[in-house]
Formats: sequence, structure tokens, C-alpha cells
Amino acid sequence: MNIVGVAACTVGIAHTYIAQEKLENAAKKAGHEIAIETQGTIGTENELTAEQIAEAHVVILAIDVKISNRERFEGKRIIEVPTEVAVKSPNKLIEKVEKIVEQSYQERESK
Amino acid sequence: MKKIKELNLKGHLLTAISYLIPIVCGAGFLIAIGMGFGGTSQDQLIQGEFSFWDALATMGGAGLGLLPVVIATGISYSIAGKPGIAPGFIIGLTANAIGAGFIGGILGGFLSGYLAVAILKYLKVPKWAKGLMPTLIIPFLTSIIGGVIMVYIIGSPIAAFTSLLTNALNSLGSSSLLVFGGVVGLLSGVDFGGPINKTVFAFVLTMQAEGINGPITALQLVNTATPIGFGLAYFIAKLFRKNIYTTLETETLKSAVPMGVINIVEGVIPIVMNDIIRCVIATAVGGAAGGAVSMLLGADATVPFGGVLMLPTMTNPWTGVVALLVNILVTGLTLALIKKNKTQEEMSTQTETEEDDIDLDDIKVY
Repeated sequence: MNIVGVAACTVGIAHTYIAQEKLENAAKKAGHEIAIETQGTIGTENELTAEQIAEAHVVILAIDVKISNRERFEGKRIIEVPTEVAVKSPNKLIEKVEKIVEQSYQERESK
Repeated sequence: MKKIKELNLKGHLLTAISYLIPIVCGAGFLIAIGMGFGGTSQDQLIQGEFSFWDALATMGGAGLGLLPVVIATGISYSIAGKPGIAPGFIIGLTANAIGAGFIGGILGGFLSGYLAVAILKYLKVPKWAKGLMPTLIIPFLTSIIGGVIMVYIIGSPIAAFTSLLTNALNSLGSSSLLVFGGVVGLLSGVDFGGPINKTVFAFVLTMQAEGINGPITALQLVNTATPIGFGLAYFIAKLFRKNIYTTLETETLKSAVPMGVINIVEGVIPIVMNDIIRCVIATAVGGAAGGAVSMLLGADATVPFGGVLMLPTMTNPWTGVVALLVNILVTGLTLALIKKNKTQEEMSTQTETEEDDIDLDDIKVY
């Protein structure tokens, strides 16, 4: 599965980057491709390309604050959580994401 | 309840605070350095009649004076996007003008944001007026409605409420001060600069805007002391021949402690994450002790940020020093005592801890 996402916390110096790292590790461990963009106080880093977004099966937003350029993900399956969840339980979050994606594909097929 | 949650009030407040913090830090440092060297923050800098330190203090003061405006603009932007900025700015300035201060700024921001959204949604204009919508109609209508509500309806009650709060806090006896300081210290430490800390921050910043400097001093001293306490724990533990940090964590401490000295608590988070419960306990105990001492002794920094740089701005700098030392010692000792000894093997590996279950309410799927 291809995952893209954005991490952004209130102060934008710590939780943002921890969330990014934890999500990347957890996703890789589960055998997924992942790219997480960080929107910290320093600005946007590791910016997602249009190609990455187009290829993604699901978008994970680990955010406590409003993010910029959210409209890029329009039409995608978006899963939004507070950064805290990504930091504390990244592996379980990825499991949940897998289930949600699976369900939505089944729903689409049954239609 | 669910309706309220959908409004995402806290999220909007946090977004605004994320814009506020660099301003508090930048301006706070300016005013702390300026006042530390004997400058004062002035309303107007008259050519030839001010020193360099007066200039610095004035720059900082100007920035901090606009915080109600920043919070209003930030909230309004968070709710309504770009169209929210202009009315948020105007209503924030209005809140400042009527003396509704920081609370006024927060309420004004919500007012402005939701008004702008409502106008966008319900006001249909003919095609030729489409261009006027973002440039004139939304900023003007939102500002006039929100501004009038601020001036004639909510402004005075908020101003009255803040002065009530101020008086109540000023007349607290020493035992209540102890409790209050303890609570502020505990809450601000317990999530290491996360949402709880920032909510308390918004609250104590409000009080500082009303001239009560104790609570924010307590909060920031706790933020300053926590990472230093983590550093001290390393040495205390060594006395007991205990290794409480992995090699990686010790490396983290080398940058976390200096960051702590200048008031940034977030550096210790990677360490906390490996052993959440014990670290939070040590921080909470130390923070409660430090906050209580700080309030009891009356440490009263006039700046809302700066770590040790806040000390010179206090009436009695020793009060802040004592509060810091108490907090650092308590956190350090507790941590050294309750953290488990690491074997050589554990020192070099990262421990995988059991993950918390995810609360389904925390997940939103679109």
C-alpha cells in the first residue's frame, strides 16, 4: 500500500517530527511505502509531490493544527488523528489504517 | 457534546497558539534582554531620548501587546481560511481597544471566524459582485458585525470578568497560592509542551496581560526546570551506580538541557516517549513543587518567556532561582529513583514498549 501524510503539531518543533519518524518506521515495518510531509514552525519540509499523492491509497494526517494545502488530498481516503496517537501507537494506527482501507475497497466493489 | 466536538474549538485555539508562540518567544527574548540591562518598554520612542536597551524592551513590548490581535487573527484564519484573516485582525484590535484583552481576543477570533464562514455560506451575490466578496463584503460585514458585538455586547462583561479574576487572584492567601502554583506547575509539566501545556499557557498569559505575573512565571520556570532536572537525574543516578538512560538518550540530553535553559521543554520528549509513566510522574511531582514554591515566594517575571533570562526581570530574582532549584532537584531525584537501571545490553538498544490502544473517537475518516 502507498501511504502519504502530513504531520503538524502546535509548536512545530518536536511532536511533528517524532510523529513523522514513528509513522514511517511503523509503515515500513508493515511493508508499506510511506512519505510524510512535516509542517513545522520552520515551514514545510519533505514536501509531497503530486505524483506521490496521486499514487497513494490513503492519506494519514497526524495533526493538531490547521495545515496548509489540504485541498491536495481531495477525493482521497483521509484518516485524521491528533499527533499524540501517531506518537504513542504508530503500529496500531497503521493496523487501523489497513482495515479502513480494506473496508472502503470492499464497499466500492460491492457497489 | 458531539456537536461541540465537531466545532473543533480546541483545534482552532491550538492553531492560533502555534502562530502565537514564535511571537511570544521572539518578543519575550527582546523584552527580557532589554529589561535585564535596565531598559523599559515605552509607548513611544522619542528620538535621542532612549537607550539601546529601551529600544529592545520596546520592540518586545510592542510585540507582546499585540498578542490579543494575533490570537484573534489566528483563530479566525483557522476557522475561515484566508477570508478570516482581515476581520480577525480588526476584531482583535477592537478587543484590545475596549480592554477585553486576551480573553476578548480569543472570543473575538471565534466570532470573526464563524461570521466569515456564515457569510461565505449564506450570502449569495450576483456574478458581477463575486470579486467584491473577498475584498470588501466579507471583511467589512464580518468586522462591523463582530466589532459592534465586541464593543457593545461582550467587551465590557469580559473586561469586568478579567478584573474580577485579577482581584480574586491577587487576594489569594498563601495556602491557596501554594495549591494554585502546584496545579499550574503540574499541568504545564505533565505533557511536555503539548496541548495541555498550551491551554494552561493561554490561561496564564491572559493573567499576565492583566498584570498578574505569578502564574506564567510558575509555568515557564517549570518548563525551564524539567529538562535540566532530567539532566541532573543522570548524575544523581550515577551516584547510586545506576544507568537510567540509554546511550542514545544521553545524546538527546546534551541538546535537551541547553534548550531547557532557554525555556524549551520539548527537547526531552524523545526520552519521555521511551518511558512515559515514570518520566511524567517525575515531571509532575517536580513541576508541582516548583510551581508551588514559585507562587508562594512571589516570583514575578514581567516577560512570558526566556527561561533563565526571565530571572533579571523579577522583583526578587532569588525567588525564581529557588523555585527553579527546587523543581530541578525534585524532578532529578524522583527520576533517578524511579527509573529502572539499564543493563549494558539495554543501554545500546532501543526498547520497544507496549503501545496504548487507540481511542476510536480520536480517528476521523473522510
